[in-house]
Amino acid sequence: MGLGLLASRALRSSRILTSPNPRNTILRQIVSTPELQNPEAAQAQPESSPPDLPHRAPVAGARVHFSNPEDAIEVFVDGYPVKIPKGFTVLQACEVAGVDIPRFCYHSRLSIAGMKIKTDTPIAKKAREGVMEFLLMNHPLDCPICDQGGECDLQDQSMAFGSDRGRFTEMKRSVVDKNLGPLVKTVMTRCIQCTRCVRFASEVAGVQDLGMLGRGSGEEIGTYVEKLMTSELSGNVIDICPVGALTSKPFAFKARNWELKGTETIDVTDAVGSNIRIDSRGPEVMRILPRLNEDINEEWISDKTRFFYDGLKRQRLNDPMIRGADGRFKAVSWRDALAVVAEVIHQVKPEEIVGVAGKLSDAESMIALKDFLNRMGSNNVWCEGNGMHPNADLRSGYLLNSGISGLEKADAFLLVGTQPRVEAAMVNARIRKTVRVTEAKVGYIGPPTDLNYDHQHLGTSPLTLKEISENRHPFCSTLSNAKNPSIIVGAGIFEREDKDAIFSAIETIAKNCKAIRPDWNGLNVLLLNAAQAAALDLGLVPESKNCIESAKFLYLMGADDVSLEKLPSDAFVVYQGHHGDRGVYRANVIFPASAFTEKEGTYENTEGCAQQTLPAVPTVGDAREDWKIIRALSEVAGARLPYDTVSGVRSRMRAVAPNLLRVDEREAATFSPSLSKPESRQEISSEPFGNAVENFYMTDAITRASKIMAQCSAMLLKK
Amino acid sequence: MASVVKNALKAIRERGIGSFVRELRDEGYLYVHLLRALILLFPALECLIDKETLKCLFDGNLLQTKIHNIGATLVGVDKFGNKYYQKLGDTQYGRHRWVEYASKGRYNASQVPPEWHGWLHFITDHTGDELLMLKPKRYGAEHKENLSGEGDEYIYHSKGHSLNPGQRDWTRYRPWEPATKA
Repeated sequence: MGLGLLASRALRSSRILTSPNPRNTILRQIVSTPELQNPEAAQAQPESSPPDLPHRAPVAGARVHFSNPEDAIEVFVDGYPVKIPKGFTVLQACEVAGVDIPRFCYHSRLSIAGMKIKTDTPIAKKAREGVMEFLLMNHPLDCPICDQGGECDLQDQSMAFGSDRGRFTEMKRSVVDKNLGPLVKTVMTRCIQCTRCVRFASEVAGVQDLGMLGRGSGEEIGTYVEKLMTSELSGNVIDICPVGALTSKPFAFKARNWELKGTETIDVTDAVGSNIRIDSRGPEVMRILPRLNEDINEEWISDKTRFFYDGLKRQRLNDPMIRGADGRFKAVSWRDALAVVAEVIHQVKPEEIVGVAGKLSDAESMIALKDFLNRMGSNNVWCEGNGMHPNADLRSGYLLNSGISGLEKADAFLLVGTQPRVEAAMVNARIRKTVRVTEAKVGYIGPPTDLNYDHQHLGTSPLTLKEISENRHPFCSTLSNAKNPSIIVGAGIFEREDKDAIFSAIETIAKNCKAIRPDWNGLNVLLLNAAQAAALDLGLVPESKNCIESAKFLYLMGADDVSLEKLPSDAFVVYQGHHGDRGVYRANVIFPASAFTEKEGTYENTEGCAQQTLPAVPTVGDAREDWKIIRALSEVAGARLPYDTVSGVRSRMRAVAPNLLRVDEREAATFSPSLSKPESRQEISSEPFGNAVENFYMTDAITRASKIMAQCSAMLLKK
Repeated sequence: MASVVKNALKAIRERGIGSFVRELRDEGYLYVHLLRALILLFPALECLIDKETLKCLFDGNLLQTKIHNIGATLVGVDKFGNKYYQKLGDTQYGRHRWVEYASKGRYNASQVPPEWHGWLHFITDHTGDELLMLKPKRYGAEHKENLSGEGDEYIYHSKGHSLNPGQRDWTRYRPWEPATKA
């Protein structure tokens, strides 16, 4: 809670209380039983309607009086309906329902203790000062060296409500710091025992690592036994901690929050598109914080999103390079590099030209790449991760159709070949929330994994899927009894040979359990990468299945995870990207491009919501934005693309996929049950599902360059 | 040496030769010159007088200190070899503590380590040896004299300074280096 907010609250409340209108004052008072002010009148009035309770009589013959019949509301106590007037307390409702709640302070003939709320009297001020004094008694006064300084709730409240002097002369309590791993730094002496972190860990993150130890002045937060916090959401305890007890280890002593410039953008390390704020100082990204978006990431982000940013400063490509005859790279000018590529691209046959977009590509650069290669006569453009024959025909075939927030409505989940905990941590948090609240059943098919909620491991191979589709599996009844069954399919299946057969089995299951209805679409695909959805929207689908084998000119636009083993050795490879990662080692020419923190780009997340990144820091060296490089190359190659500005590229995008321009709006797939696909003639293979993401912390060029992510994978993935 | 001569000439010009000689006698310089003349005449004498004393013969300040030391108590010697003297009684109060520097060729006040500084400057009556016990073990840095004017390699350069051998790289990103192998 910011200081401004507190101040405005204080102002507002004082305005209400000083207002001459007495009705406002009544609104602020919680006096629920007007007849208590006048007990004789209440007794004199005859009972209008005795409560209709078959089993229980009101405690001690308690009666209800409705001064205004319209005020009656019905509540349920232990399942029994009770009619009570508005403003009754829960205690009173229970009394009417015949349940005796143990209590001491409340008495029906007495006023509710102290319930005349005043917020700006001298006593209230003094009481707050007293509470602040107690809080600060064991809190170190080390704000000048504390990383929370300047954005600390305790600091703000102490400024707003605390006394201006202290009377404390004794020794302060000190607590031994805990080692929570490479991400969260602890200064436990600063802890005020609010237990927000404990509740976050057990409720949202789903790990029972943190807890409260000891009592009284010996009370402290700890990990019971010496142990690291092994959660993919552990970084959120930094935001949650109101004081400086839990702070960011990589950010420790790096900057002060008032020196930072915040840029509201989105995350591209997975397909969720978490809303983030990039805090930068000068040309450096200093830290990444979550932004509130109830539909996507609520107010959490994964550790990968929060801490990969040091990868942006390492292994950067900053000059165009050409590999010479001796096999070494030489930095050259843009003019020379573009001329070489333009010359080579005219020497190969159009069908031998292949383009692959990387997992971090924005929609602008993908449409530019596709347009350029189409003009050169090739139609072999795709985005890595989508496989060679993606089902791009219907948007519902590759989107999370129920939406991330829509998953909360589901009451049964079937996870097929996906481990949402590592593939999309925020989606996993949403499933966990649903499971916690509604006790939804979760069935999982795939390699053994550690999901942080109760689930049934149904099997490891697609054969289990076949059993379910043929109603031969016990989990079928769970699915068909569910009101809103949700089937989540991992995008790792896109790369499988028997992809079509698996999808037709899943569609059968969806049909059997009525997962696809006009009001509920429970057949979901969980994508892996930020670029995938936009690529399929823009139609980046390869023309031939084995174009890599016959390629003579390969354009890698940030694609590092595409298998180049089958690429002919005489093929000419252009790598355009921001990091010297796997892709550059086979490249002949390198074009340096800007990373997502340095450019404006459109990304579509797995539920079909288009969002834009904004440049937070300037780009490095001689790098350029991706679509500009392709635009320049097209001119040198004599096939000039017709757009010169980013709005020009976007109007081209509007012609292909207009939903990409409706930013921050979820464009759900059109529901079309009448369009049935041709029956797949593929046989389901018995090959078990694999892990789509081997290492949660290192999935793309930026995270692989990050030192913090390397530390995390070394320390936290240890089995 | 040149400065000694220059100072002497200046003193003669200002106060006249008579008072200058009187002053010299008071300060014991005549003794020096006598000794020097003796050594020049009889080089065998040199082995009788130790090197240090010989060196101080050329430097008036050191010689004065040496003479001062006669009758004073040696309070302590620090780790650099500087000797700390005190003489109570017939010395002017406030000038009763002094140091004889270990280095006779090049000496200055920054050679006094912090533990002795307080004693020498009448801040405390605890000697350096006593104060050394209070020195923090973990982060107490070693004392270094001020080496200004001794050359670039001796003086402190900030971490971004081009003369700092471990100069920090201030570029905000590290470029990818192409593999050196072909």
